[in-house]
Amino acid sequence: MTDIVTMLTMNWASIIGIVIGGICIAVGVHFVPVGGAPAAMAQATGIGTGTVQLAAGSGLTGLLAAGYMYMTLSAAGVPGISEVALICATGAVGAMIMITVTMIVGNWVYIYGVGVPPASAKKDYDPITGDPQAPYVAAGTVGQGLPTVCFVSGAMGGLLGGLGGSLIYCMLMWVNGDPAISSIFAIGVFLVNAVLPSYNIQGTIEGFHDPKFKRVPKAILACFIASLLCGIIAVTIPGAAMLGGA
Amino acid sequence: MEPAMGMGLVALMGAAATVAGCSEDLESDIGSQSNPNSQVQLAAQVGYPHRIFNKAISGEPPSNAMYCAVGAGVAMVLMSESVMSASPLIEIAIGAFVAALLNGVFSTTSYMGRNASQTRFNQYVYLDVLRNQVLSLMGHAYIATFCIVLLSYVLWEQTLIGHPFPFPVIALIWGLCVGAIGSSTGDVHYGAEREFQDFKFGSGLNAADSGNITRFAEAGIRSSMDNAWFCSKFGGPATGIAFGMVVFLDNWRSTAFGGWTAVVVGLVIVLALVIYNRKIETYARKKYGPYPEYAGEIAA
Repeated sequence: MTDIVTMLTMNWASIIGIVIGGICIAVGVHFVPVGGAPAAMAQATGIGTGTVQLAAGSGLTGLLAAGYMYMTLSAAGVPGISEVALICATGAVGAMIMITVTMIVGNWVYIYGVGVPPASAKKDYDPITGDPQAPYVAAGTVGQGLPTVCFVSGAMGGLLGGLGGSLIYCMLMWVNGDPAISSIFAIGVFLVNAVLPSYNIQGTIEGFHDPKFKRVPKAILACFIASLLCGIIAVTIPGAAMLGGA
Repeated sequence: MEPAMGMGLVALMGAAATVAGCSEDLESDIGSQSNPNSQVQLAAQVGYPHRIFNKAISGEPPSNAMYCAVGAGVAMVLMSESVMSASPLIEIAIGAFVAALLNGVFSTTSYMGRNASQTRFNQYVYLDVLRNQVLSLMGHAYIATFCIVLLSYVLWEQTLIGHPFPFPVIALIWGLCVGAIGSSTGDVHYGAEREFQDFKFGSGLNAADSGNITRFAEAGIRSSMDNAWFCSKFGGPATGIAFGMVVFLDNWRSTAFGGWTAVVVGLVIVLALVIYNRKIETYARKKYGPYPEYAGEIAA
């Protein structure tokens, strides 16, 4: 018990970092435009897959880039705050590349393969370009494809997801220094924080312009609590192994 | 590592990823996995029994993550000298074969379970469909898993790139990634176009038509093989290009550049893609025009 309390007091900064990372992921998930099964039939705006799956796919791709950068920078000693900033930026950009490439190829399929123009059904005009949306929404659907506003929102979601995942990984590496344990725990914490906001989203969301985006504060509260618990467990279990206590 | 060697490895990984992405998407098209499966499942219930393969084991990302992690795990065990001392290529091939067997088990049980539960809607278990298509599913799963485990090996092996994550974890992450990409790109070609080819091209799919999938092929009754033939012309290669681009661009920027320069290069790539997306969006609007059914107040 004393070991656990010592471990928590020694690593409070890492727990705070994990909580911040978890909240970044939770907010990032709301930015990702997912249309679920209806989008796969071009019946809804967004990417035709599930919220968690796409957020995890992009965030964990960023985690791979961040893990490699951490290894490179740790050759000169344990990375400090400025190095962690670089690692998180690397992870964030890795996730952005994954999600933007996926969205652009998704739009190829909608435009060239299915023959429908991208259009949002949640707004009459695109908040970024000002283009009218309603005339381009097919009858009996709630939009299709990825108009500019959804594309930009998705890139921002990738940024936050990759940033959060990378930050959690760095915090865990500070605690135990083992990439294997840290990567697996980072994936676990990532998935917890990607699944919880999906109850807010209920299958489909178009991005930051969607009315469902206003539910973000609830997700932040839920993910704060969940990330705090995850942080305590993630710090004590791998950390205790480092001390020889488990 | 020499820059030329690094770039060569990145190119190899990109090529393997392109093949993996294409094969993964075709596997999901033959099996009707992921979101388009909802229509295949619904068809019999709304009066359209069919001979399309029906397997929704799970979402594509978790199932591919599992195949790839299993393949890499088996290959890693075989790589330890006390077990087998052979070329890593053979060990990766054995790992991918085990993953393909796993795919066969899941495909068979899910097809039989799903169709047996729909007998009341006159949807039967067709043994010839099962016999003909499970091997094709396993073959595509084998190619996808082999390529992903291979690129994960290149990333993990200490004498090559030397990524710090364990081999199966790297394969798991790339498996998750290819599943997410396949589900988001190639599956749309299958779900929105091939499943509803009776409807006019570009007309969109009215929600009232859900479940009314196309059941007759260019010749005879449509099977999942016909779907793979069609999707291999666009949806599959598009998925391959997407996954290849992700693997190549992400690794290229960190191999060719270092530190903050790599971050800036990544942001430039993202910005270029945002601009390109805007270009194709305006192209599509000009080319197709507004829907004729629209009678609202907003001018197109």
